[in-house]
Amino acid sequence: MLENDRKEDELLAVRCQLGEPEAFDALITRWHEPLWRYLRRLTGDDDAAEEAIQDAWLRILRGIPRLRDCGRVRPWLFGIARRVVMDRLRERYAEPARAFTEDVDVATEDESSDLEEELELLQDELTRLRAPEREVLVLFYLEELTLTEIADVVGIPTGTVKSRLFRARKALRDQLVRKGVKR
Amino acid sequence: MNDMTSPRLSVVEMQRIISGELSLRSRLRYTALLLLALLVTVAIASLWLTEASLPARTRVAFGVMVGIGLSWAAYAAWVLTRRRVLLAGHRVIAARMAVTFTTIFVIGSVALGIWSPAGRPAYAAAGLGAGLLIVAVAMLLSARRRFEELMQRRRALEQELSDRTR
Repeated sequence: MLENDRKEDELLAVRCQLGEPEAFDALITRWHEPLWRYLRRLTGDDDAAEEAIQDAWLRILRGIPRLRDCGRVRPWLFGIARRVVMDRLRERYAEPARAFTEDVDVATEDESSDLEEELELLQDELTRLRAPEREVLVLFYLEELTLTEIADVVGIPTGTVKSRLFRARKALRDQLVRKGVKR
Repeated sequence: MNDMTSPRLSVVEMQRIISGELSLRSRLRYTALLLLALLVTVAIASLWLTEASLPARTRVAFGVMVGIGLSWAAYAAWVLTRRRVLLAGHRVIAARMAVTFTTIFVIGSVALGIWSPAGRPAYAAAGLGAGLLIVAVAMLLSARRRFEELMQRRRALEQELSDRTR
């Protein structure tokens, strides 16, 4: 991500803390879809993502006065979105860690060769990864967060993010190879 | 997850929800509720504590009223810190309201002490009100300092971004 984008995000966060309604509009315009995509991938379900995104935005609005470093608004936003999902899982299962790390069984039946179908296959295989590994892949490759930012979002050391990312890449590669996708 | 669609709740709908949550009027209402609840509680507590010859039932009634006043103050404080949170600009307005309300209360209490027979309770209320006024002034100074810090950061970032785009 360009340094300019980060500065623009910081400026938006500062303006939100000042209480400018237009800044909240701009923050939503910029981050609604990325946060929804992240939640969609985390939950694997449209309805769950839809409920979570509303809750996440309300928590963002209510929590923004307590954001100490506006330069870290990106990991802070994703961190809130993640906590919303974790809280919902906690409510639903009362055993958050196990529920979150369970594999999601989504079958794929595709053996296509054109780009669109390969992308679809990639999405499917991404869903089949364990949730913690899927999460770091999504944050690193699709949302372009740095390793330090991911560590902030997930609440684990940067070294653990690196090793989790390594495992996730390997697992995804193995799955794709098994499906007949060449490197 | 074959199809990564867009959120059903659009950006515009989300903006509408959040702008409803950002209402300044609602924040000012809760700020006024907090201040009124505190000041009325202070006035009742002053009467309660300084009138020695009150019947037992009146004392109980004052105690209940103080309890009710404090409950309303706690509720308004909870709303302002958890639901309708005060952003930097709102905090400055809320702190100004607090300074204005408490100043009027202190002046009114002192005037009542001078020109009415209820001297002791009025002076007690003025004393407690003065304590609240000190807190309000401290909150105003802190809110203005925070607002100014954010404005400085905002100007610096705008300058930095405009230099980069040249």
